[in-house]
Amino acid sequence: MADMKMLDASDRGLSSGYMMWYRFSRNPAAVVGSLILISIVILAVFAPWLTPYPKHVGAVVDFRARHLPPDASHWFGTDKAGRDIFSRTVFGLRVSLLLVIGVLGISVPVGTVLGLIAGYFGGWVEKLITGLTNVMLAMPPLVMALAVSNLLEPTLTNAMIAITLLWWTWHARLIYSVSKSIASEDYIEAARLAGAGPIHILFREILPNCLAVISVKTTLDAAFVILFGATLSFLGFGVKPPTPDLGSMVADGRQFMPDFWWEVLCPGAVVFYVTLGFNLLGDGLRDMFDVEN
Amino acid sequence: MAEPLLNVDNLSVSFVTYGRSRQVLRNVSFSVAAGERVALIGETGSGKSVTAKAIIGTLPKNANISAGTIGFAGRDVLSMPRAEREALKGTAFSLIMQDPLSSFNPVFKIGTHLDDVMRFADKRNGISTSKAERRTRIAAVLRRVQLADGERVMNAYPSELSGGMRQRVLIGLALLHQPKLLIADEPGTALDVTTQDEILNLINQLVKEENMALLMITHNLGVVRKVADRVVVMHHGDIIETGPCAEILSNPSKDYTKALLEAVPPLYGPRVIDLPRSECAPIVTIKGLNKIYGKRPGYHAIRDVDLTLREGEIFGLAGESGSGKTSVARIIMELSRPTSGTIDIDAPAPGRGRRLTQIVYQNPGTSLNPKRTVKQTLSLPLTSIGMDADAREARMRELLDLVRLPQSYLAKYPHELSGGQKQRVAIARALAAEPKILILDEPTAALDVSVQKTVIELLMQLRQDLGLTYLMISHDLSLMRNFCSRIAVMLRGEIVEEGVTPEVFADPKHPYTRALIAAIPVVTDVEERLKPIVTEEERMRFLVKTTA
Repeated sequence: MADMKMLDASDRGLSSGYMMWYRFSRNPAAVVGSLILISIVILAVFAPWLTPYPKHVGAVVDFRARHLPPDASHWFGTDKAGRDIFSRTVFGLRVSLLLVIGVLGISVPVGTVLGLIAGYFGGWVEKLITGLTNVMLAMPPLVMALAVSNLLEPTLTNAMIAITLLWWTWHARLIYSVSKSIASEDYIEAARLAGAGPIHILFREILPNCLAVISVKTTLDAAFVILFGATLSFLGFGVKPPTPDLGSMVADGRQFMPDFWWEVLCPGAVVFYVTLGFNLLGDGLRDMFDVEN
Repeated sequence: MAEPLLNVDNLSVSFVTYGRSRQVLRNVSFSVAAGERVALIGETGSGKSVTAKAIIGTLPKNANISAGTIGFAGRDVLSMPRAEREALKGTAFSLIMQDPLSSFNPVFKIGTHLDDVMRFADKRNGISTSKAERRTRIAAVLRRVQLADGERVMNAYPSELSGGMRQRVLIGLALLHQPKLLIADEPGTALDVTTQDEILNLINQLVKEENMALLMITHNLGVVRKVADRVVVMHHGDIIETGPCAEILSNPSKDYTKALLEAVPPLYGPRVIDLPRSECAPIVTIKGLNKIYGKRPGYHAIRDVDLTLREGEIFGLAGESGSGKTSVARIIMELSRPTSGTIDIDAPAPGRGRRLTQIVYQNPGTSLNPKRTVKQTLSLPLTSIGMDADAREARMRELLDLVRLPQSYLAKYPHELSGGQKQRVAIARALAAEPKILILDEPTAALDVSVQKTVIELLMQLRQDLGLTYLMISHDLSLMRNFCSRIAVMLRGEIVEEGVTPEVFADPKHPYTRALIAAIPVVTDVEERLKPIVTEEERMRFLVKTTA
């Protein structure tokens, strides 16, 4: 059986899981990024047990302890109401992560599905969806978000709605271009010839080939969503006090700059830390999947 | 013998991928004397391209030369300082690359590409030259590669030139500085046979005129016969044997070389297989088929094509790129609509989800979804015809047996399979819902000849066992000679010749058929003599405009 011998000779492919892990584990950016994110998730989830003053999340006022600089008992100092800034930033992470989950949880699936449809079907469907995304992308995001938050009450949910309304377009546009190029592959035509319907082709044939791009884009986007959310609440359109939020904490501390610098710098540094974590992981994932752009 | 021009001695190279080291060259030794033409031949993964890259110094970062020396004119290239080694490129040895399209940056004119290379080389050699002076030198080089209208070529963008012209420019690029050794990595492989033939003639002529040495890297044994004095056969990183071209091709001493030669489909001679003609009723009848792409005037891809496929036969549709052969196949597949004409398929209507026709694509690398396992790929057509899970399971096992793959391959992803295995999976997918007619779109063009042989044998067996009718589309006439019972030759959308395969090859009527057959690189002198005679004028008439 010369035939079989030849078959076995070429049978030395490494599993794709091993290859990905290899690339991931040798990429310092990806490893550091995921460690940062793991630390953030642990802090956010277990905030009541990990923070020294979990009560300070609420409307606590302790004027004796106001504007204390960072020390051993208040790592990030205290704010104008004497609340521990460290405890509040950790709880603020919860808000940021909720925002990320809420915004991306809706806009990624919506954008992906619309992008897949536009790329695969073409014709007037393509024109309609790309036209709509182009119109949405032409609106200045901050103005749009401010308008939405203004119309509705300034709450976390409404901030989420405002950001989501903008965000799906970026995903739709990216997945559209990927889906369009995959749609012209031989294996898509072969699947059609094998009797596959559009649902099968969109979600079983094209989508798996987009997953790498989606995960990279989503991770990098998470950083922007956090920044955007912080910007909104900095401008007063985010979470209502006394719920701690990184953006509004920076806004509150701003009036006491530069004397009580920690009130701005510490929450700001946490925003930086979270954003950096998502960006590093996103870049690492990109290298790992070999995704361009 | 004097010191050879190029002397590769005991070269060992390993690649490190994903933390694992893999030896790709093992103690490779060979030499090229001044003015000698040597061919490095081998299949995918034999290490022939790695050898060339090691000589030029363009190995990827994860490659490691663990032992050996590469001597050029008596000096060890590997121990040279970087700058000195860089200076050898272009002057000592030049490379002709495989793909004439991707080797050019599409936004720069041809003249700019050539001028850049010349300017940097001049700078390195400390000569300052003016643009006008370089331009005359470039025009002279273009004339040498038989591009008559140098001015027009220099002002053209790469996309404005035909494949043959681009390949000529690439050769010109390699010749700019009178290299002593020309390294050609599969030149012409991406081109049509008639153009490839021209390119090989040109290389031969240039090597002779300039007294260069040639190191030709190829997988095509026919090409070897045409351009090499000596042959080095490689397999899995080892040199299997070395010897004069005529001796290796006619009387190889090693089993591997013998098997390789046997796998090459013969054009003439006793080894040719004649397929019996089918006397059955026609299954596909095409009348007055026309296809025009685009609006007025549009591109007339198919002109008045009439065809009949008889049940159980293997019908070959031959032609070069742009001849319209794939358009005909797509219309039969109902993937595109004809502008005019009729197609009748005389078979009972298939059941739900079934098709009378299925296709096997040229490149199994792109016809299988990389994210789906063999099982997922195969279960799709079975689900469409309404099979339940148990029936699917049984049918998939049957299909894998049919294409002679082990059952364990169901769980594999395409990247874990070799090219031949992937093509087997693609064949299994095409057969899953029991079509009557299988369209084979160059099914072995992306495979090595030894793999091609096994895939062709499999297809023959399947046709016999399952009573299929094949429509084979290909530009490889020597393969079609042995695989098709009838053949039609297409040129610019028209069928110029049609007939029973042995008759067409014994006495081709149309000059284009003669030109096509004559251009096929064959392995033996006997075959070469049996080729139809083509006049120079006829040859030029059908050549895709190379120098126009």
